[in-house]
Amino acid sequence: MKKVLLLALSLVLVLGLVAVPAFAEEEAKVYNVANLVNGNLGDKSFFDSADAGLAELQEAGRITYKTIEMGGRDEDQPKWLETLYEVSESGEYDLIVCGTYQMPDYLTEVAAEYPDQKYLIYDSAAEGDNVVNINYKQNDMGYLVGIVAAAMTTETDIDFINEDAVVGFVGGVDSPVINDFLYGFLLGALSVNEDIKVDTRYVNSYVDPGKAKELGASMIADKNVDIIWGVAGNSGNGAAEAALESGKAWFIGVDSDQELTLSEELAAITLTSGLKNIGNSLIWFFDELDAGNEHYGESILLGLPEGGVGIVTDKNFDEFAPDSVKELVLEAEEKIAAGELEVPTAIGEVSTELEELRDSLQP
Amino acid sequence: MSQFFDTIFKPEFVFAIIRITSPILFAALASVIAEKAGVVNIGLEGTMMISALFGTLISFWTQSWLIGVLGALVVGILLGAMMGFFALRLRTNIILVGIALNILGSGGTVFLLYLFTGMRGNTSSLSSPNILIPTWNIPLLKDIPVVGAMFSGHAVLTYVAFILVFVVWFLLYKTSLGLNIRAVGENSNAARSVGISVQRIQYIALMLSGALSGLGGAFMSMYYSQSWNTGIVAGRGFIALAAQAMGRGEPVGTMFSSLLFGTAQALETRVSGIQGVSSYLVASIPYVVTILGLVLYMLSAKRKVRRLHQKLKNRQDAEQRT
Repeated sequence: MKKVLLLALSLVLVLGLVAVPAFAEEEAKVYNVANLVNGNLGDKSFFDSADAGLAELQEAGRITYKTIEMGGRDEDQPKWLETLYEVSESGEYDLIVCGTYQMPDYLTEVAAEYPDQKYLIYDSAAEGDNVVNINYKQNDMGYLVGIVAAAMTTETDIDFINEDAVVGFVGGVDSPVINDFLYGFLLGALSVNEDIKVDTRYVNSYVDPGKAKELGASMIADKNVDIIWGVAGNSGNGAAEAALESGKAWFIGVDSDQELTLSEELAAITLTSGLKNIGNSLIWFFDELDAGNEHYGESILLGLPEGGVGIVTDKNFDEFAPDSVKELVLEAEEKIAAGELEVPTAIGEVSTELEELRDSLQP
Repeated sequence: MSQFFDTIFKPEFVFAIIRITSPILFAALASVIAEKAGVVNIGLEGTMMISALFGTLISFWTQSWLIGVLGALVVGILLGAMMGFFALRLRTNIILVGIALNILGSGGTVFLLYLFTGMRGNTSSLSSPNILIPTWNIPLLKDIPVVGAMFSGHAVLTYVAFILVFVVWFLLYKTSLGLNIRAVGENSNAARSVGISVQRIQYIALMLSGALSGLGGAFMSMYYSQSWNTGIVAGRGFIALAAQAMGRGEPVGTMFSSLLFGTAQALETRVSGIQGVSSYLVASIPYVVTILGLVLYMLSAKRKVRRLHQKLKNRQDAEQRT
């Protein structure tokens, strides 16, 4: 009897030893995520990036998710709110993800109604203790783009490139957000070439490519600009068109890989694009969650170290950029990621530094 | 300052002025015709938006820029007819019809784009060179230094815009339709009394006006920008209204005032590239030029009135003496 008991006890012990780690592994929770897209997949931009990030997490067995495409028309807007309410009401999801500047008002409203439901919004900011806002460090991105532009503007072996060390920046509006891109761009360019000149001009509209085209054309004709970074929403395409028409300049895209979204001809002169990696930022968020860091109620800025921003390094960049430029970019990426280099921001503190820098670099 | 003159005294500057002026000129001429017939067409902006979209779509479907431009023209005519239907037939206030058309142009186009292509916001991935309005390098002229760089190599529609100034002038002053249009605009009761169908003439004027702004729309999305996007016309339809008013509603005068607006905007793009100039200040250049233009216009009008007054007085004096 004693023996049997002993055997049973040791069996329990052994089983326990085996079972405990197995149990612990199960405790790494598999989250159920709803991904609300206020548009459609296939945008080759934010929505596709978010979906790709979630798919990667699902593949790794860390989440299960469902993407709901709500349509992007004005007429669809009531549906966005309705869908938000529905998925919140269902209580099936551990996290509801949405994004873009069009969602924060809806999300703020719904998040207040369902305090126990958790939400994440990317590239925008809503309110609520149960909401995490994820935004991206444009200045980090700008720094990398600045390095590429300044390093390549003197590589006269490459098509369209002239010997003058002048590059261009076409911004949407003279505002802190756009200037945050600019600040990084200027500093990145300076880090490569002390004598660099940056022609900065603003369209004063995000929807007027015609005017952006005139700005780009003037930069190319008057200042010998051979690489233009367009950070101006739809207007930015106008700068690309100016470069294409002149046959004397390259364009650099922003936010998403514009080599994929522009027409073939424009893509051919798009050297690279500054990226907001929505997908990476979602993976970062779940890494944090698993590490026990809940960020609900916080506004988080993700930069290079977290993989939140970056630049496109395949396609045209891979083909045309000399190895020295690729190395410079890698080096800077590593430095910023390691925290050795911190790119200042134009958001928040009101400072004249950026303006002085901008003026001093204007050709 | 030397930077400023460097960029102004370049052929590219004149080229830019002409390019910026073209879409404004189309819409301003559209406004001229409507105004002459006594109807105020403030729906130019919306008409341009919608025709711009259809220009892009039709050229993409047919892979022909010419059919795209004609499509934009037809859409413009239809929109003009629609304005006529609401304003003339159903007696809606024409200003309200114009506002409605502008709203349709900003919101409705996004809906239509989505309906036809599933795209949101812009059509940049549809674009390819054969569906864009070609440019024209004028033989001989293009080889002349400086002048060639200014006037050659523009889009075909740019030349059309400037030719249309004289076509519109001819239409208004040398044809019976033009006479009818002016008569209706001057005094519709008098026109009616001699058997002119006021409604028919105004319909025609609105449709012509729509056709012209349709061409302006095509210029925007098929040449100026190589794709359509939300808000692409960006207020050019409203600037055109101002250009028409400043040009006293005459085709040639309107062309000059359009050129003035074009120059102001070209200046704005150049000045913003000069060291130490605030972009906020630069953005006000077109408005300052507009105000200056209006002041000059008012002064010249005043002088004209005074001269007429003087003439009248002289004549009266002479009559009294006799």
